[in-house]
Amino acid sequence: MKLLKPSWVTHDGKPIFSVDIHPDGTKFATGGQGEDSGKVVIWNMAPVLREDDEKNENIPKMLCQMDNHLACVNCVRWSNNGLYLASGGDDKLVMVWKKAAFIGPSTVFGSSSKLANVEQWRCVTILRNHTGDVMDVAWSPHDVWLASCSVDNTIVIWNARKFPEIVTTLKGHTGLVKGLTWDPVGKYIASQADDHSLKVWRTMDWQLETNITKPFNECGGTTHVLRLSWSPDGQYVVSAHAMNNSGPTAQIIERDGWKTNMDFVGHRKAVTVVKFNPKIFKKKQRNGNAPRPSCPYCCCAVGSKDRSLSVWLTSLKRPLVVIHDLFDKSIMDITWTLNGLGVLVCSMDGTVAFLDFSQDELGDPLNEEEKNTIHQNIYGKSLAVTMETQLSTTVIENPEMLKYQQERQAAQSAIIAQATGPDNQTPKLANVVNGESLEDIRKNLLKKQVETRTADGRRRITPLCIAQLDTGDFSPALFNSVPILPGSSVSTTLIPQLSSDSNTATSLCLRAPPEPPATSPTKNTDDKESGNPSVNSAALKSNLLLTSASKIEPMKALDSRFTERSKPAPGMFSVCVRGKEASGHKDWKVKEDTSSDSEDKGTQRIPPLAKRKADMDGVEVVEKRKKGRPRKDTKIMMNVPHSYPQVRAVYLGLENELCVRACVRPCVQVGTDPVTYVEVENEVSVVAGARISQLRCCREKSEWDIVLPSRIVLTAGSSDVVAVACEDRTLSVFSASGRRLIPSIMLPAPMSALHCSAFFVMALTASATLSVWYANDPSVPHSTVNQCVLTEQGVPVVGLSSGKTYCFSPSMETWNLIVDKQDSLVQCADFRNCISSLGALGATGPLAITQGRNLSAGQLASRLSSAPHHLQQGMTLAFLENQLCSSLLLLSANEYRHWLLIYTRFLVSEGYEQRLRELCKDLLGPVHKSSSTSWEPKVLGLRKRDLLMEVLPVVGQNLRFQRLFTEYQDQLELLRLK
Amino acid sequence: MAKVQVLNVAVLDNPSPFGNPFQFEITFECMEDLPEDLEWKIIYVGSAESEEYDQTLDSVLVGPVPAGRHMFVFQADAPNTALIPESDAVGVTVVLITCTYRSQEFIRIGYYVNNEYTDPDLRENPPIKPDYSQLQRNILASNPRVTRFHINWEMSTDKMEDSENVDPAPNTMAPPTCITGKAPPLGHMPDNSMDYL
Repeated sequence: MKLLKPSWVTHDGKPIFSVDIHPDGTKFATGGQGEDSGKVVIWNMAPVLREDDEKNENIPKMLCQMDNHLACVNCVRWSNNGLYLASGGDDKLVMVWKKAAFIGPSTVFGSSSKLANVEQWRCVTILRNHTGDVMDVAWSPHDVWLASCSVDNTIVIWNARKFPEIVTTLKGHTGLVKGLTWDPVGKYIASQADDHSLKVWRTMDWQLETNITKPFNECGGTTHVLRLSWSPDGQYVVSAHAMNNSGPTAQIIERDGWKTNMDFVGHRKAVTVVKFNPKIFKKKQRNGNAPRPSCPYCCCAVGSKDRSLSVWLTSLKRPLVVIHDLFDKSIMDITWTLNGLGVLVCSMDGTVAFLDFSQDELGDPLNEEEKNTIHQNIYGKSLAVTMETQLSTTVIENPEMLKYQQERQAAQSAIIAQATGPDNQTPKLANVVNGESLEDIRKNLLKKQVETRTADGRRRITPLCIAQLDTGDFSPALFNSVPILPGSSVSTTLIPQLSSDSNTATSLCLRAPPEPPATSPTKNTDDKESGNPSVNSAALKSNLLLTSASKIEPMKALDSRFTERSKPAPGMFSVCVRGKEASGHKDWKVKEDTSSDSEDKGTQRIPPLAKRKADMDGVEVVEKRKKGRPRKDTKIMMNVPHSYPQVRAVYLGLENELCVRACVRPCVQVGTDPVTYVEVENEVSVVAGARISQLRCCREKSEWDIVLPSRIVLTAGSSDVVAVACEDRTLSVFSASGRRLIPSIMLPAPMSALHCSAFFVMALTASATLSVWYANDPSVPHSTVNQCVLTEQGVPVVGLSSGKTYCFSPSMETWNLIVDKQDSLVQCADFRNCISSLGALGATGPLAITQGRNLSAGQLASRLSSAPHHLQQGMTLAFLENQLCSSLLLLSANEYRHWLLIYTRFLVSEGYEQRLRELCKDLLGPVHKSSSTSWEPKVLGLRKRDLLMEVLPVVGQNLRFQRLFTEYQDQLELLRLK
Repeated sequence: MAKVQVLNVAVLDNPSPFGNPFQFEITFECMEDLPEDLEWKIIYVGSAESEEYDQTLDSVLVGPVPAGRHMFVFQADAPNTALIPESDAVGVTVVLITCTYRSQEFIRIGYYVNNEYTDPDLRENPPIKPDYSQLQRNILASNPRVTRFHINWEMSTDKMEDSENVDPAPNTMAPPTCITGKAPPLGHMPDNSMDYL
């Protein structure tokens, strides 16, 4: 470990309250007291890291100084993407700073220090709401929110995409709130206050998750700050000032149950600040030794009022290092470099210290992918899917994908170039107005400036605008689309910024004015030179809005560990078929089968019932043992072998519970075929009394699940489809990978038997009607019915007072449920992050009309924080598929396209590869024409391949699907050439 | 936070004969479009002893001011010599540039001004009645004293109290140490020439 106290990092001896290193590691910010104001200073990191740079006078040490805060600055924090700096101070304000474009180095006019500001950071937003000093600010993961806490006892959550919009104000603390930390997956925010409590709030509904007081009961006295920190694996929160046996500690709070069993002990006075290293480490592998698996651990720095700093590894019982007497006064803030090896500490005494660790001391940092794996294991599978960070390590395998990604990045970096303004362009723009150099302008300014007289005879001068500000660029697209990729400091998007930094570093003085920009040299006092770029950026922005919309939503995270699986109530099945009836269908089925076009099956079926029963039981038992899968008696278990399957439902009475089991056996037997399991869980409690049913299907390695609003009473499957009958007399049919194929079909009577074979679904109802659908193409579009025309497309729609709306499908000759106001799926679906910016416009049509403009979709979504993520995922998926099918049924092409795109975005962002593949496959159709295929090139008059062309760019956004993207892109290309 | 930041003031035509107009080229930056004009004033401190000899040389409205960086040249006539106490005509005094928005002063820039005879004989034996035609005015452009005040930039009428601010002039203007030093070159000055010492 090396220790350095850079004496030049100073606020002229005044206290430094906060320090934060920029995510790209090239600079850091300090905040504190200025002359008669608050002060924020941005410093160059290079002179801290390298002695040569420190001695080199051409390398600036201070990059920018902002005296705009009216009173002491308590906290400075960089946004995760590095574009913004937030500062909060005693003036009750939070200011958000952004590097200015188009403006070159300048000084603070009249300031006593004659150092030039190398970079221009400009306040883009002032957030006013607090009625007391702002003590801490924190950006959420992905920079979706900015939180600030204050001595007014509140925490304000600001919408970082739409400053100064307030998302919510968290009230509950009864003392000064002095520290904030977000959980690394964005599910919680924790705050610590002088009221002897640490509170954890949910980001889903902004309600209090837990209130921890015990470790703080003994706390006396006050510290200026209570900066707590969440570990990078999300497992622990470590508090500032806590007490244990009258000794000051930093309390460790486990996420699992918010247990408070451990603490960091040893400081002699109150702990003011705790900061976790952003990296997760594993044991350093010695050369020659075989790699031994070891548990990853985290690293944490603790600073105290006793002026000492301790650094802990969670794998060690004692601190890694303790440094006493580092400062003359209390430690105020700690920040780690992104690589996890450096740490900057600041103190009330106005100095900072830099500690440089080696990998030998801390261990090998896990890369982003490994870190994401940990997150995935702990918090659910979708967590990192959309994280750009993960993609930095993904190899782009194909030129098409590369081209696509490059185009996106080019668009993004073009915007950065305009937004943050590479410095080497800056003098050019600042010094040249309409092709006339600033020098020329200045010579003639007095003569040229427009001077008029006001009505009362006073002189009035119209100032010459020499540069426009870029403050208007605070657009969401810009703000979110250019994240800094941790772990790869030289990402392509960053190149303009980095290179410009190095330029300024080597030559501080003003560069000679280069050639005028290639804009129209019209001589006018107007400022046309900056008009052009802004037009461009506007255009680019709108492009970006389209592509980035799906990934800017905060992570809805999702640790299923915390949610107990709801237990099914005993005796909840109401079985509507008796054994007699079940066996009675046999003849029906044979008839149906022979009448349909699959003649070869009929004759070979129907082994004796008893035997099948035995088979089934045997298989079940074996499978049970092999898989070790815990199973509840009230679940329906089926295994579906791959070849021509046939469904049999058998009902077994078990004491006072009724249990439904179904089993599918091959008739034309292919012994080694993979087995499919279908598992049903009814009455999964979600929220507010809403209950849903869940069906899980696993085949080979793939596994999917769907959720339905009503209890599932029967299910059947084949190699191609899975059919599910619900208590509310609906029949749903899903593809082999769980995609809904036809909308819920309303059956005239309760279902008594259900069979599937290939794409055929047969249903027998209690009213002795039997229907067979061909699930792959339920609506052969030739006949149109002209009865009861309600929609423009001629589809009869009937709405009932119960809030359900049905439409009649002429081809299927059934009434289908398209809207159910009480549908818990609709209420719980959360797809808002998948709506594109233009999406809202596209959603007009019969479906929207029948469902009502203010469809209650997503109404309960925000209250779902307690539901496991996969459940909500499933509900959203089910809802979107319902919408898709309904618009298909209503022949509403526009809406079909709209929901298709939302659906695709959802699949892409949540990582449903199989469904995505199936969707693409269906849209593409057979590449080679053959007479036997029944693929329709059009859906609702839209060419499916055109739709695919719209869908593919969405798929391409997630590098994880690059093979899928490439595969279909190639095939599309091939077809186009044909 | 102030919506208007003064980035630079270049003193033009300096040094110059006493009777020449003052010329300040002012560069400022505005955070957002200002609905009202800024009012700039040049105040000549006739005597350090008393404010009663302060002369407002001129005041000018500047507008419209959209968000952005702007510059203009503020020219004002030389002070009325009749209002200057004879004993204070030669020597060091102060010129102030102030800017107000909605009648609230938010910045005050002070410069030391040295008035002296160019002729060595006159310098040795100054006439009892000052000969203003022989006086040269030298503004110490490299050392502006800037004081900023917090004002209420919004429409609401309640004024912010700025108790923490102390009026800088004239008591914060300690006598300069080297007023006879060379003045910065005129003409092609870089933007931040004021800060070259």
